[in-house]
Amino acid sequence: MKVDVEGTLKRIESYKGVIGTIVVNAEGIPIRSTLDNSTTVQYAGLLRHLAAMARSSVRDIDPQNDLTVLRIHSKKYEIMVAPENNYLLIVIQNPCE
Amino acid sequence: MAEVEETLKRIQSQKGVQGIIVVNSEGIPIKTTLDNSSTVQYAGLIHQLVLKARSTIRDIDPQNDLLFLRVRSKKNEIMIAPDKDYFLIVIQNPSA
Repeated sequence: MKVDVEGTLKRIESYKGVIGTIVVNAEGIPIRSTLDNSTTVQYAGLLRHLAAMARSSVRDIDPQNDLTVLRIHSKKYEIMVAPENNYLLIVIQNPCE
Repeated sequence: MAEVEETLKRIQSQKGVQGIIVVNSEGIPIKTTLDNSSTVQYAGLIHQLVLKARSTIRDIDPQNDLLFLRVRSKKNEIMIAPDKDYFLIVIQNPSA
């Protein structure tokens, strides 16, 4: 199982334009990252809250529904946040590349 | 105004589009293709989410700004285009 995770993350990281990937566990602690520590901690903290808010919005509208991906496009890059089993996968990419 | 109407009509006619809401800077829906209670619910929740997304982007980098937000869920996708004074919400079923 662990080998699959590594393989998947490596595949994502090898895509052109991917600036960084972060995996956050259920406690909000980043357990894997390709970015430096302070950036990782900042992204993990902020995006965890945003994803939780997006998820509760989706559920408020329809309790049978659930969030699959949150995509945040900004001027400089795109952040994709995918929650799964209380974990969080964060990928930052430059969509122009 | 006619151009706005044309654009909204064009979006509405796309396959899979379930609803469109235009919300002003106070979070009040000023245009919608959905019923009143759904509109109010979406507008309120999405307004909060957009503000939070925008401040998240700016916290990371004050020179950066939010351009677009896509909230994909199991059943549908909510796309939000924020602007200075308004934001546009489009709800679509991506599998349609």
